[in-house]
Amino acid sequence: MVGTQPQPVTIAFDVMGTDHGPGEVVRGAAMLSLESPHIHTLLVGDRTLIDDALAETKHNGERISVQHAADFIGMDEKPGEALARKPNASVAVAARLVAEGEAQALVSAGNTGAGVLACARHFQLIPGVRRAALATVYPTRSVRGAKGDPFSLILDVGATVEATADDLVTFAVMGSAYARIISQNERPKVALLSNGIEPQKGPPRVVEAHARLSEMKDIHFIGNVEGIDIPKGTADVIVTDGFVGNVCLKMLEGVHDTVVELAQYAYKESLRWRAGLAMLSSGIQRIKDITDWNQYGGAPILGFDKIFIKAHGRSKSRAIANAGKVAAKVVSNNLGAAIREGLKK
Amino acid sequence: MSLPDRIDPRPPRRIYRWDLDKTYLQTEFDSLRDLVRTAFQKAHQKVAVPGASALIRELSENGDSRLCIVSGSPKQMRAVLEEKLKLDGVRWDEFVLKDNVGNLLRGRFRALRGQVGYKLPAILESRVHAPVEAEEVLFGDDAEADAFIYSLFADLVAGRVDERVLSQVLEAGGVYPDDALRVREAWKKIPVGDPVRRIFIHLDKLTPPAHFTAYGPRVVPIFNYFQAALVLLADGHLTAPQVLKIAVEMVQTAGHNIITLSNSFQDLLRRGLPLQQAAVALSQALEGPNKLLAAMRPMPDILAAFSKRLAALGTPPPPPPVQAVDYVSLIHHALPRNHKGRTKPQ
Repeated sequence: MVGTQPQPVTIAFDVMGTDHGPGEVVRGAAMLSLESPHIHTLLVGDRTLIDDALAETKHNGERISVQHAADFIGMDEKPGEALARKPNASVAVAARLVAEGEAQALVSAGNTGAGVLACARHFQLIPGVRRAALATVYPTRSVRGAKGDPFSLILDVGATVEATADDLVTFAVMGSAYARIISQNERPKVALLSNGIEPQKGPPRVVEAHARLSEMKDIHFIGNVEGIDIPKGTADVIVTDGFVGNVCLKMLEGVHDTVVELAQYAYKESLRWRAGLAMLSSGIQRIKDITDWNQYGGAPILGFDKIFIKAHGRSKSRAIANAGKVAAKVVSNNLGAAIREGLKK
Repeated sequence: MSLPDRIDPRPPRRIYRWDLDKTYLQTEFDSLRDLVRTAFQKAHQKVAVPGASALIRELSENGDSRLCIVSGSPKQMRAVLEEKLKLDGVRWDEFVLKDNVGNLLRGRFRALRGQVGYKLPAILESRVHAPVEAEEVLFGDDAEADAFIYSLFADLVAGRVDERVLSQVLEAGGVYPDDALRVREAWKKIPVGDPVRRIFIHLDKLTPPAHFTAYGPRVVPIFNYFQAALVLLADGHLTAPQVLKIAVEMVQTAGHNIITLSNSFQDLLRRGLPLQQAAVALSQALEGPNKLLAAMRPMPDILAAFSKRLAALGTPPPPPPVQAVDYVSLIHHALPRNHKGRTKPQ
């Protein structure tokens, strides 16, 4: 509604354990405090480090609070063992505070496994959801929704290695609800990832999920898609299990890295190639802008009654601030209720 | 006030010195357009910073203080500014405005934007007439040179700055010789004492608080006047019910809420201000006979939020060591923004 103030939302940030150190998360939260008056941030981590970073950063102190947590979990630690050894690690404290209602969502750029496990211990699964799904966003050739979002959502990419047909249908409902809220895409196109577009292609669980999704009127199910369709953006939400999703994601990241390396090689190797790259520079810049995951912020863990946005470990302040905005948007639009509604139908 | 007091009023125990633009008033003068709009605003169009007028009213309630306003606004705006203060129920004892037309006519172009040569002599001359024992609290903002000028004023009166340093500062600050003479003459007349208790800097431009670390713990950057009220409660200038009244006004008129107030409280704790007892005092005030305050929502929730924010911080780190202020190296803080020597805040 025009002219109405958005409701205040508090987002907990796990400040510790990221690749760039606590400063980037604090600066991201500070940025958020200046840009989004309705978003309050709860920074969880070492108080001294947070205070030092905040004191040096332009921020609005009315919109930031701190919860001290002496421990944190590093990127290379095994999540289960680390959480057992460090019950007061920042991610665990942050998840607990969200569960207790001190904040409405959690953003972490730290150890993914520890984040998912901390949420699993403190949050409840939405009724009807058997397993949570780790989603990711992938840049595509086409755009979607009112804001021209260039990213499609892939889920699951690692949380549920062997998904059943039930799980795949649930993932489709959750992904559709999320895309509707975040991309402002009224009818997101949902597809199952398979080895052919025909309904009978794929393992039995995919075939069964296809049949069931085809019957669901509230899901804009477009059938199966193949790997080639992911970067094309054929679907807005791509549903798969954690094993295939993770392999797929890593391969796509590998292709991206290889293209970048080849371009760097070409730039160094020959003046003619360098000139060619220079002529393409505006196009390359556009691709870079489109594929800049900093603008997206993070991807959600779907299925819990509380929101968890997982930001990339290499997130800089802008990406952290955007992850906070994504989290606030999900909270404000009540994703949990949308998923519950979808699962009832 | 009794008849003898009216004929021969008691000397003030406390002096509160305020800047006006961006400290008391939400004034925009960053562009020419802003300047023109500000110049033509009527009194009722001017907006006070949330909580500022309530804080001034509560401070004057105690009946033993003076309110001295020294503003960089031109003298031609006196009528409209006085009308605005009256509309807000603010009564003042001294109100100094800048003679920018005079500066222009005399070709003193540096003085148009310079603050050291204007404010420093003005507040020193005001202090000459103050009782030796009167303590001072000063209010400024981060848009101009207030932290620098107020700290220098405090240390000059306390005898912590010598003639050599003062000369260097006045020269580096581009102060005209007649203003420099006024500074020295007023300074000589003031008995040595240490009256300045606090210098509050309203973070209108949200300058990072660390920018003011060099001035020591006497300077307290604040995001809002509820924070100033909390510190003044701890310093004994306000009572807990008075602080609650300021908070209530901010909640009712400026959109503040439990979250912003409790975050503001924790922000000060994290910067090492000893406010642990403030929540206790506020809680006791609510339990006391003041039923009006007890009935006001959401004050009890704010106290619960205070306790949570306090507990969230764990054991406080040791306070920072006291340090002397190096005014010669900090003079760039006090130069007009487009001056070559000024460094931009981080």
